[in-house]
Amino acid sequence: MKDVKAYIESGILELYVLGDISAEEKAHVEEMAANYAEVRAEITEIERSMEFYAEEHAVEPSEQLRTKVLNSLLVNLGDDNTFTKSRTHQDDDNVVALPVARVNSFYKYAFAACLTLLLVSIYGLVNLYTKLQDSNSQLTALQTDKQRFANQVNLMDSQLNMYRDTAYKVLKLKGMPKTPTAAMILAWNSVSKKVMVDMQTLKLPQHDQKHQYQLWALVGGKPVDMGVFDAPKADSTAGVKEMKAIASADAFAVTLEPMGGSVNPTIDQMVVIGKF
Amino acid sequence: MSPKRKISLSEDELVLALRNREKIAVEALYDMYSASLFGVISRIITDEAVAEDVLQETFVKIWHSFSGYSSEKGRLFTWMVNIARNLAIDKVRSKDFKNQSKNHELENNVTFIDEQRNTVYKPELLGIRELVSTLKPEQKSILDLVYFKGYTHVEAAEELGVPLGTIKTRLRMAILQLRKHFN
Repeated sequence: MKDVKAYIESGILELYVLGDISAEEKAHVEEMAANYAEVRAEITEIERSMEFYAEEHAVEPSEQLRTKVLNSLLVNLGDDNTFTKSRTHQDDDNVVALPVARVNSFYKYAFAACLTLLLVSIYGLVNLYTKLQDSNSQLTALQTDKQRFANQVNLMDSQLNMYRDTAYKVLKLKGMPKTPTAAMILAWNSVSKKVMVDMQTLKLPQHDQKHQYQLWALVGGKPVDMGVFDAPKADSTAGVKEMKAIASADAFAVTLEPMGGSVNPTIDQMVVIGKF
Repeated sequence: MSPKRKISLSEDELVLALRNREKIAVEALYDMYSASLFGVISRIITDEAVAEDVLQETFVKIWHSFSGYSSEKGRLFTWMVNIARNLAIDKVRSKDFKNQSKNHELENNVTFIDEQRNTVYKPELLGIRELVSTLKPEQKSILDLVYFKGYTHVEAAEELGVPLGTIKTRLRMAILQLRKHFN
């Protein structure tokens, strides 16, 4: 019995009552308690003391809690499992839901704000891009215009030079009896041998697709081919057309010839002629 | 036991009634033990509302796992107080509780202090001052750490900075002192 006394005095029974003991030790204490009445009695004494101690430190829970607990235990008296589940879940909700919801809603709003910002940004970007495209196309149009004007100015300049340059001789070709309204202005540069036709002032009858006008130079009574040209269309902006060069000529004439021109002029198809 | 309580049964009667799932057992169980259990729980959990939730959980668990209790292994209260203490400690250590206590710390401490003051002036608890003087401070601190705060004796040894053997001895001395006092 000395062993039992030592066992009691080891303090293991106190730890057993306080629940501060491993499962193995617990099983051993329970075995000892079953075998030795003294151990059993000692445990009961310790339990009583702790029970009194707890009672001394008792704190009354609120009055409503009694009803709440009793209701929750009694309402589902016959349906324990369902009750446990639903009850625990509701408790969890009570304790947990509020702060979690608060955090959630913050992120929700933050997300919404970000999304809004993103949409506004995209809208702005698209707007800006469209405007940039507009500006670019306007710029291109302006450059094209500028180029066109520059070309025109150059062209006019060169046309003007034709008249300024004293080396040019300007010849007016007049209509034949068949074509009294026909007229044409031609310039011949005796230095550079260039021959230019002023397309702007050209007044020749329209011809069909199979024919072209051909310019002839008369040198010592013989016709020399100076190249072919088309009567300008109504909307044409062509200025001058350079024909083949020739060193000297007495006269110039234009005949209507089959497409591509002929070797010899068809005299009865002559539309204009002019002599120096 | 206390005149204030509405329904009181002997422990054997109570255990029998609980086993038979009688309505009166539930009421008696609550009336006899809610304050003692709540005393333990509210020393672990300072937030009154959370402590009450844990008390409710405790009763639910007692009610549903009552078949696991055997009077041969010990007194009913010992079994119940272990359930209450474990639930309370689980709650304190849970992530939710930590988050929540950050939000409500100040407010809850105030209510807890008020509540404790009320408790101290309850007539049936007047003996507590006398009791405190019967326990040496080092006995009381170790007893409260293990009984009310749910420390293991190993953790208590670390907390108080004393050897394990001393802890066990002090614990036994403290409880012997209590036994003398209550007898």
